Amino acid sequence: MGVRVKLFAGFRELLGYKETEFSVKSVRELLEKLSSENEKMEKKLFKDSEKLEINNSVNIIVNGRRIELLDGIETELEDGDTVAIFPPIAGG
Amino acid sequence: MNDRDKTRYDRQMRIDGFGEEGQKKLKSSKALIAGAGGLGSPVSIYLAVAGMGSLRIVDNDEVELSNLNRQILYREKDINQRKAKTAEKNLKKYNRDIEIESIDEEITNESIREIVKGCDVIVDCMDNYPTRYLLNEVSIEKEIPLFHAAVHGMEGQATTIIPGETPCLKCIVPNPPPKETFPVLGATPGLLACIQVHEVIKYLVGMGVSLKNKLLITEKGAEFETLEISKSPECEICGSK
Repeated sequence: MGVRVKLFAGFRELLGYKETEFSVKSVRELLEKLSSENEKMEKKLFKDSEKLEINNSVNIIVNGRRIELLDGIETELEDGDTVAIFPPIAGG
Repeated sequence: MNDRDKTRYDRQMRIDGFGEEGQKKLKSSKALIAGAGGLGSPVSIYLAVAGMGSLRIVDNDEVELSNLNRQILYREKDINQRKAKTAEKNLKKYNRDIEIESIDEEITNESIREIVKGCDVIVDCMDNYPTRYLLNEVSIEKEIPLFHAAVHGMEGQATTIIPGETPCLKCIVPNPPPKETFPVLGATPGLLACIQVHEVIKYLVGMGVSLKNKLLITEKGAEFETLEISKSPECEICGSK
């Protein structure tokens, strides 16, 4: 059992799947793995090609907690964790 | 409850756990509907026809032609009219037995506390996060449940915030997305608004709520997924509550 990843909206459309499992140790490692699957995904996830900062248009929740309230991109992951990635939406 | 109410609300009072008692609770409750747009239109219509005792609708915009693909409270003849007053007038045609009050005012840090005064629930029908954060703050401060939804295109999200029990909006969306003219199909806020109304009515009637500690994400109106969400002890708004 690895880290369970759930993708929504544009992230799901870009990679063509809703859910998968990866063996990764941190959010950074996970995002790099997802970026390596699709060039557009890298642009969607990161602010720049250095992959230092996550785009504002990305919401990441690890086991129900926003990564901004954990250790951000350096948040550590363990097997059995669930990560959800979805865009923020504001309309009403 | 009079005979007219008994007939009017008969079909919903037949729902298990609802009954006359539930209807009476609904009748004695007041909802703040923050925003009378794509979400606020169906939210206010369904709460009105369900016999919610009192609705307070807040909006400070005018009806525009481009609103009419989704804001089903308004008709073509309402274009250029103030939304709040028009909403009040049109809602009264749905149910003359309830109290409907409109406030044509911007929700600001200065006005918000007066606007929520006396309300049992707040329904978040806004189209921007700065105002949503104000609703969230006052919900936590005054311990009034907040029923959140947001839409984009054919996607939507919803959650029910019960102060002290669930994460607040700031725990879920700490950074607001940029303001934009968002794409939207009318049926999408319709769908999410109906989910908000289910949550509000279940809460007031005492049937429990389903989206407590859960973020519902809908994809193109066909796939529904709920993510477990937790309160963040570090949250600047609800962390110490």
